[in-house]
Amino acid sequence: MSNRFNKIFSNTTQKTKLVAYFVACYPSYEKSLEIIKKAIDSGISICELGFPTQEASGEGPIIKKAHDHCLEKNITLKDTLKLAKEVRKYDKNVGIILMGYMSNVFKYPIDKFVKELAEVGADGCLIVDAPHELKEENQLRNALTEKNLSLIKLIAPTTTNERLKIISKFFSGWVYNLNFSGVTGSKSADLKQVEQMIKKILNLTKLPICSGFGIKTPEEAKKVASSGCDGVVVGSSIVEYIEKNANDKNLTQNVGKLIKTFILELNKQ
Amino acid sequence: MSKNNIKNSLKTGSDKDGYFGEYGGIAAGENLMHNLEELKNAFEDAIKDKKFLDEFAYHCKHWIGRPSPIYFAENLTKKIGGAKIYFKQEHLNHTGSHKPTNTLFQVLLAKRMGKKKIICESGAGQHWSAAAATAAKFSLPIVGVMGKIDVARINQNILKAKHYGGKLKVVPGSLREAITAAIKEWSNNPDYYYLIGSTCSSAPFVDIVRYAQSIIGKEMREQFMELEGKLPNEIIACAGAGSNFSGSIHEFLDEPEIKKVVVEAQETAALTNGTKGIMQGMVTKFLQSDDGSKSLGGTSLGAGIMYYGISPQLAHLNDIGAIEASVASDKELLETYKLVAQNEGIGISFEPAAAITEALKRAKGKPKDYIICATCCGRVEKDLDVIEKLIGKDFE
Repeated sequence: MSNRFNKIFSNTTQKTKLVAYFVACYPSYEKSLEIIKKAIDSGISICELGFPTQEASGEGPIIKKAHDHCLEKNITLKDTLKLAKEVRKYDKNVGIILMGYMSNVFKYPIDKFVKELAEVGADGCLIVDAPHELKEENQLRNALTEKNLSLIKLIAPTTTNERLKIISKFFSGWVYNLNFSGVTGSKSADLKQVEQMIKKILNLTKLPICSGFGIKTPEEAKKVASSGCDGVVVGSSIVEYIEKNANDKNLTQNVGKLIKTFILELNKQ
Repeated sequence: MSKNNIKNSLKTGSDKDGYFGEYGGIAAGENLMHNLEELKNAFEDAIKDKKFLDEFAYHCKHWIGRPSPIYFAENLTKKIGGAKIYFKQEHLNHTGSHKPTNTLFQVLLAKRMGKKKIICESGAGQHWSAAAATAAKFSLPIVGVMGKIDVARINQNILKAKHYGGKLKVVPGSLREAITAAIKEWSNNPDYYYLIGSTCSSAPFVDIVRYAQSIIGKEMREQFMELEGKLPNEIIACAGAGSNFSGSIHEFLDEPEIKKVVVEAQETAALTNGTKGIMQGMVTKFLQSDDGSKSLGGTSLGAGIMYYGISPQLAHLNDIGAIEASVASDKELLETYKLVAQNEGIGISFEPAAAITEALKRAKGKPKDYIICATCCGRVEKDLDVIEKLIGKDFE
């Protein structure tokens, strides 16, 4: 894993880090880059760059719509890597994770993807439909490890204790804890359940844990932060804001303000 | 008759990780992994339970009307001049296709697992009407997901399913979108039973559907031995994702002397024109853009064979040469429908017309004791309006 995550999570000025998900190149390459730069200035610790795909089987309607928009404009994984490179150029400290599905990575193909991921200065990737049972996940994970990059693993409320123990052997960078089972943006997090799962994960790893799914408001982010996680992931609500205000000339400024309201709440703990 | 103890049998199903050679596997989100494991365990347990299998066999016989007969298409055989052409008449099953065998098996499995609600997807609507009928019979509520394109062109199955009490959810697109949406619904509601209609998606779905449908081939063996005293030389069936074909050939997988030919729609021929990829929960051949972000493929009259992927098991069998793949065009489907209707008095749907098209091509000039069996997996009702519009005047 890259040292960057170590640095990010050992920084004590902000107790719970904000991980922000963006659909890469949405609503356009230039706008997306501008928004992400603003988000970094506003205090996010890690940015997840979602690369578009047709099925997006884990995504709810909000993120799916943004994916479809990008596909219509023929945005590919290559563009997302290019975007990641620009983001890294802008900021040396922010964590950068590419997030998406196996279909694109497999076709890139895997080795070339990992090589370029390292070249652009990203810290790793998170692949939604790649459990460790998938042979192609093993290929990807091995290639990433060789380059000192992380494959972020996910834990769901439905993950059994036995399975959690197995997955914990593959943890790298940080752990993504899903607050509920379902697609993105569909429900709110059940705090008690989140707390229980984080306790279980803490027993198995020293790595940081970030909790995501179902965090729609700064208040909800604060609540989930109190569950003992090291970071919270906000996705659908940012993407939804961009979707609804795509033509607003103050969009970038306002996304920055939105992110600051999350950070402000997180710092109130 | 089964030869499960033979070395390197092709009948053993997927390996421990759900692969058939390099295809298959589980490409699903972590939140579905528990469901899939639960399903796998329940399936493996159920097929060891004689009582469960007896119940399945009982309803296959009395509710579906199995075994579906084989039929010697004598007039077509004479007309073509060559091999004896047989149909395995799956269209005579209750609900009019091979689909209820799978829905019956899985609804019984859902009940055995204590599931209280069922969700499914459908392309041609054949699976949807079969699933809704089965759910009604066993008093389980059911939600179906279909693409808008398919809903617009096939309404009989949708009406039937409505009368059986099924609730339909319509999503933009076709079968691809329906599968994705149904999986999303399942991941939002892990307590549902997801009743998949074909041999696609993550393990163990491919094995479950193939297991249920393999009754087609088992019946064929008995029926051919009784009627002809020997097995067919070739078995031909159409495939969207492949449940009908897989069910027709599984029994004979360790008998390489029997040719097995799968026919896809020319416009969505994943086996013939696809490339290896990972989508819809599985590793298999897909018609897809070079970067894997989009599926490709046109439309076929045969809604049930219009799928841009293929069963991972069939991708594997094709790679190792255990099956042959072919395609049929819309023009051929219409022509074959007409031939079968006029010569045999049987109204088939567009999907089996693909298989029979291939059977007719292969029969020509073959010796008279050569037998070709095409599985006839659907009846015409759902396609009547389209046929009447396109070639109705041919019959005047």
